[in-house]
Amino acid sequence: MESNKKYWKGIEELQKTPEFVENNKNEFAESLPIEEVLNEAGLNTVTPRRDFLKAMGFGLGAVTLAACQPVPVVKSIPYLVKPEEVVPGIPNYYVSSFNGQSILVKTREGRPIKIEGNPAGLLGNGGTDATTQASVLDLYDASKLKDPTKNGSKASWSEIDAFVKGELNKVQASGKKIRIVSATINSPSTKSVIADFTAQYPSTKVVINDAISYTGIIKANENSFGKSVLPRYRFDKADVIVSFGADFLGTWITPEEFSKQYVSNRNAASLERKKMSRHIQLETGMSMTGTNADSRVPVKPSEEGQAIIALYQELTGTPGTPLLTANKAAANVVKLAAKELLQAKGKALVVSGSNDVSVQILVNAINSVLGSYGTTIDLDNPSYQYTGNDAEFAELISEMNRSEVGAIFFLDSNPAYDYFNAKAFTDALAKVGLRVSFAERADETAALCNVVAINHNYLEAWGDQNAFEGYYTVIQPAINPVHNSRQAEVSLLTWSDNAVTDYYQYVRNNWEKTVLAATGKTWKSVLQTGFVYTGEKPVGTYTFSLSLGNVIPTIMNQGRALAKDIELQVYQNVPLRDGKHANNAFLQELPDPVSKVTWDNFVAIAPKFGEKLDLEEFDLVTVKGANGYSVTLPVLFQPGQAQGTISIAVGYGRTAAGKVGNGVGKNAYPFATVQNGTVQFNGTVTIEKAGGREELAQTQTHHSYEGRNVIRETTFAEYAKDPHAGSGKHGGHKKYDLWYKREMPGHNWVMAIDLNACTGCGSCIVACNVENNIPVVGKDEVRRRREMHWIRIDRYYSFNEEGKSVTEENEIGELQENKDAPNNMDNVSVVHQPMLCQHCDHAPCETVCPVLATVHSTEGLNHMAYNRCVGTRYCANNCPYKVRRFNWFNYWNDSRFENYLQEEFTQLVLNPDVTTRFRGVMEKCTMCIQRIQGGKLQAKIEKRPVKDGDIKMACQQACTSNAIIFGDVNDPGSEVAKALKSERTYYVLEEIDVQPGIGYQVKVRNTPAAATTEA
Amino acid sequence: MRNISLFLRSVAKSFLVTVLLTLALSAATKAQDAAAGAAIFKSRCTACHKLDAKSVGPALAGVNDRHKKEWLHKWIKNSQAMIFDEKDPEAIAIYDQFKPITMTPFPDLSDGDIDNILAYIAAPPATGKKGPVVTEAKEEISDLMIGGLVLVIIVAFIVIMLLNRVTGTLERLVMKNNGVEIPEEVTVDRGAKFKKLFKNKKFVFFTGIIIIIILVSIGTVGMWNTGVHTGYQPTQPIKFSHQLHAGINKIDCRYCHSGAYKSKNASIPSLNVCMNCHNYVTAADNYGGQVSPEIAKIYTALDYNPDTREYGPNKKPIEWVRVHNLPDLAYFNHSQHVVVGGVRCQKCHGPVQTMDELYQYSPLTMKWCINCHRETEVNSKGNAYYDRMIAAHEKIKKGEKMTAAVFGGTECGKCHY
Repeated sequence: MESNKKYWKGIEELQKTPEFVENNKNEFAESLPIEEVLNEAGLNTVTPRRDFLKAMGFGLGAVTLAACQPVPVVKSIPYLVKPEEVVPGIPNYYVSSFNGQSILVKTREGRPIKIEGNPAGLLGNGGTDATTQASVLDLYDASKLKDPTKNGSKASWSEIDAFVKGELNKVQASGKKIRIVSATINSPSTKSVIADFTAQYPSTKVVINDAISYTGIIKANENSFGKSVLPRYRFDKADVIVSFGADFLGTWITPEEFSKQYVSNRNAASLERKKMSRHIQLETGMSMTGTNADSRVPVKPSEEGQAIIALYQELTGTPGTPLLTANKAAANVVKLAAKELLQAKGKALVVSGSNDVSVQILVNAINSVLGSYGTTIDLDNPSYQYTGNDAEFAELISEMNRSEVGAIFFLDSNPAYDYFNAKAFTDALAKVGLRVSFAERADETAALCNVVAINHNYLEAWGDQNAFEGYYTVIQPAINPVHNSRQAEVSLLTWSDNAVTDYYQYVRNNWEKTVLAATGKTWKSVLQTGFVYTGEKPVGTYTFSLSLGNVIPTIMNQGRALAKDIELQVYQNVPLRDGKHANNAFLQELPDPVSKVTWDNFVAIAPKFGEKLDLEEFDLVTVKGANGYSVTLPVLFQPGQAQGTISIAVGYGRTAAGKVGNGVGKNAYPFATVQNGTVQFNGTVTIEKAGGREELAQTQTHHSYEGRNVIRETTFAEYAKDPHAGSGKHGGHKKYDLWYKREMPGHNWVMAIDLNACTGCGSCIVACNVENNIPVVGKDEVRRRREMHWIRIDRYYSFNEEGKSVTEENEIGELQENKDAPNNMDNVSVVHQPMLCQHCDHAPCETVCPVLATVHSTEGLNHMAYNRCVGTRYCANNCPYKVRRFNWFNYWNDSRFENYLQEEFTQLVLNPDVTTRFRGVMEKCTMCIQRIQGGKLQAKIEKRPVKDGDIKMACQQACTSNAIIFGDVNDPGSEVAKALKSERTYYVLEEIDVQPGIGYQVKVRNTPAAATTEA
Repeated sequence: MRNISLFLRSVAKSFLVTVLLTLALSAATKAQDAAAGAAIFKSRCTACHKLDAKSVGPALAGVNDRHKKEWLHKWIKNSQAMIFDEKDPEAIAIYDQFKPITMTPFPDLSDGDIDNILAYIAAPPATGKKGPVVTEAKEEISDLMIGGLVLVIIVAFIVIMLLNRVTGTLERLVMKNNGVEIPEEVTVDRGAKFKKLFKNKKFVFFTGIIIIIILVSIGTVGMWNTGVHTGYQPTQPIKFSHQLHAGINKIDCRYCHSGAYKSKNASIPSLNVCMNCHNYVTAADNYGGQVSPEIAKIYTALDYNPDTREYGPNKKPIEWVRVHNLPDLAYFNHSQHVVVGGVRCQKCHGPVQTMDELYQYSPLTMKWCINCHRETEVNSKGNAYYDRMIAAHEKIKKGEKMTAAVFGGTECGKCHY
């Protein structure tokens, strides 16, 4: 059955705004500011004859002189003593770990240039998230401090040691307290260092302060089961998932691991087993997880608690007062969810993104009813990724205010920026004598400290991590420290006069004493494998047996308190998360998976509600919180946003992050409030028009398909009946070919992309940026539609249409708030589609190039010879997929133009196997040809055929969900050949017969109809 | 009597000859001993010993006087046994000086060999101690200098002409002032013939065409060769001779350029590779016992003291001038050509083993690359990678030569990405 669904990329496309239509009419979407450029260069557009002759004469002379240049003298400087393991031109890989995930660091001639997931690692399936991919750029961040500082000026380490030790002794003598404020520490060695430090200075205490805390869950588990832990959720074991505002695929706890688990129940392999999980999401703003949900209903923050109570009542059959009276859609979906959850008992999982203890206790009760403990929730092998306790930091502030704290250390923590009540914190901090920050840069907190003992980047450091029970990963350096930095642990060891101050030795001793002794592994083997997993402890089942007598009224009261004015949800977005890496240009330019906004945060508002407030898109509004904090941000109309609410992302508005991150967006942390003893990211606000308009740098509608059908989608029920459903493969038709047939007798490199596995996270984009030296262009250039990303993820909205996929069952029918208005912006579904050069066999770009700069290879690739390109841009115009990118500037070296990668130091991150492109040439995805050539060469040297899986694309490698498969389709045993044989395979715009090399697999949605028919 | 005298004379002569021959022969044997000793010494001992200077081991000159012959034999065959097992006081005394280094045992050297070595040490064949060889800095006359000279000559010529004219005018002026009648010069129209020729339209036309053709062809050739640096031979920081190393000493290319077999870069060897040999090869024989000034540059770079054999901290790299410059837009991989393709180094780099100073042999143009890819048959024998490729290609291009180009070796993206 062909779907009649209408897909649209943005509201402007849907409403066909005059601006959008105008832009799409043009031959080139990017406007060509000739006049502007000429004026900038000081030339008049009306050039007098004499000036013209002068310019010509000078030009001729200059060119002649330039051509006289003799052989350029290129120096070639070999190593003095070459390290044995380094062969110039051949990369070395070292295991390390980042955010608890085991990774491989690719180094060339001693400099790290790329991060890959450790294929054997347990968290990410060999894939990584965007932050990890981009983290390599942090090493080359030119905004970092180069030397430690004391009272704001450069100091030597010996001076600092003497000063800090002296101060510590004074503090010790005065009986004051010493506090170490840190983000969650799960490194056994760091913990041991702090224990040693505490032995020397007994008044030391660690205060864990995470920017985004999970105290609610930890406290709730302590309350319910006596275990104050963050459990390990097992989405792979869940058939029905109900999430109340938890963005578990994007930002919640450990999204990479959850993506891997979640997709394992929805990918091609699972579908072939005729099995697909069902996912219901109730949330305020449209999150990335919400875009992937089978059913998604917007609820206000004030209704979220009610919805959970309603679910509990439905599940246990305890009737209560009617809830969710104002949101019928939510009430209906809760009823439906309860029914489905009960059917899937033992294979069900309910999660909530709330940081409220009461809410989480109630969620525990629900999961207990569903028998989730021991199956989908594991309390015995807990996660150690977040162990923060909000109360401790609040207590620290009052301690500081009482002048009881004599010395304070900040390790990987920046409360002056990310604590909701930063003012209370900074005021209190002024009362502490010794303030030491271990930041890499003079960040907001470090600026208030008297000593900044700059820490190594993780690529320069030794260390370890313990992301969850039994999983120990090692951090090993891949480069010598670039600046005069010192590892924080070494500083602590030095200041506490430890016998061992060599941190390598310390970590090794610690491992040999603990992990290695227990497992019988050697240190050397750990440095090769990257991690040790001591195995899973037996998983116990837990039953919730407490009374909810107090819990439910608390939740109801909190909800009531929120239900006034406009409700605000503060959230993390996928690129920037908590803002720690705000100075990373790759992350700033990564479009948000849902809004596709780069370089800014914004006020997300439902279109209907926006109109009600008399707002237009990109209007600047001032948002004022209950605590008086206000920010002015542009408005973005976000379909799927709950009515009467707005959402603002944290991670922006840094003032001391560095050249890239400073002043990008506004800080939303101060909108958070403390309720019930925990920091909660919601509140009530008022909105006022601030006057003026600021266009957001959104990438979503930059490339138009003119309404052609590029997305194919079906429901699980249809798929179960007919696997061809939605792929458009019913009946054949005669094909006519304008071109001669291409022969690809050797290799034929192709790709398969499973739309059902892609969650839209964007780590492939960053991976591609790093691998292929793709420049960052900045906010203004993105606004001009000049982003350079070779791979983009198109996000399509569609309305959930009545009667198409919904059965007669009333309750499902009533999912729609308003039956008569089919274009209900609250109820949209989303499909993510990675789009990159399709390497068409009959490529339209090739036929229009006047200089044959883009030609086809015998291996099925569309080559692009940059040095032949003269920049007519005909190819980009003729490309039906709009994947070609034009270099408007020499992005690597143009003083007029700031792209954040112009520092010579930062450019050390470039991949030496890929050229950087010059101004005036076209570029596009090469299918990582450097990797293909490298893989082929390796096979030739080893005298064997290329094995499937030898060659991996950067995007493929970064994908945790394995949505992208690359290979040689001429090898019938290859994964890609098998994937393309799937009934779900279709080619985008195959009707124009350009014979693309990339096959997509139909998106399957497990809509209610399927769930009920299956039952 | 004459007969007798003759006989005596002949006897005496033969005797003399015999004696002389014997003498000569014995001298020759002695020389041979020392010569054989020299050969063994060069191959087995020079890594650690010098005759007149301390090296890894002691200086050996006068060793025959310092120790007894039997002792020396025993020491050379297995010194470690003497030090550690027999605790020979003489042996221990030497060991104390060089601790912890012990001498490698040479049980394979026969007594005769050792005698020869000792003979060599006692009387090294006179090498004709040359004085320090002054390497004449060859006056290099660069193009620039020649050009300058020509320019100076031209300028001088013009000056002379001008001065000549000036003096002529002045003379005339003087004569006029003195009232001397200047005879009017009779101007003969010598150019009339030429003028007539220049008025000939056909002549002018053809000359014009010829000039244009010459200019265009010069321009074309000039432009065609812009950026082609065949013969480029920059001055290097060290006067390294490939002729000496690869030609005379026959050192395999890959000993130094090991990267060519593994990586895209052939790589200039790091100095620790140089030091594998130049640790003891100092060419001191040619420089009056001093380290060769070029080899000394290696030592300076590594801050190495050949006397104490220690490395200092002030290292600074050697900045070689790259001879073969491919543009950044072209990707070239040595291992693909050398290992997979089996191409000899000389194919592109020319007769390196005869180059005293390295120069660029090939034009390194794209045309040159492509030509080779079109002509060279792929070295596919015994390489399983090519089995499927060839099977696939044979289906379409039956019987054709399997060149690199057939496998897509001339496609843009193979080298440009």
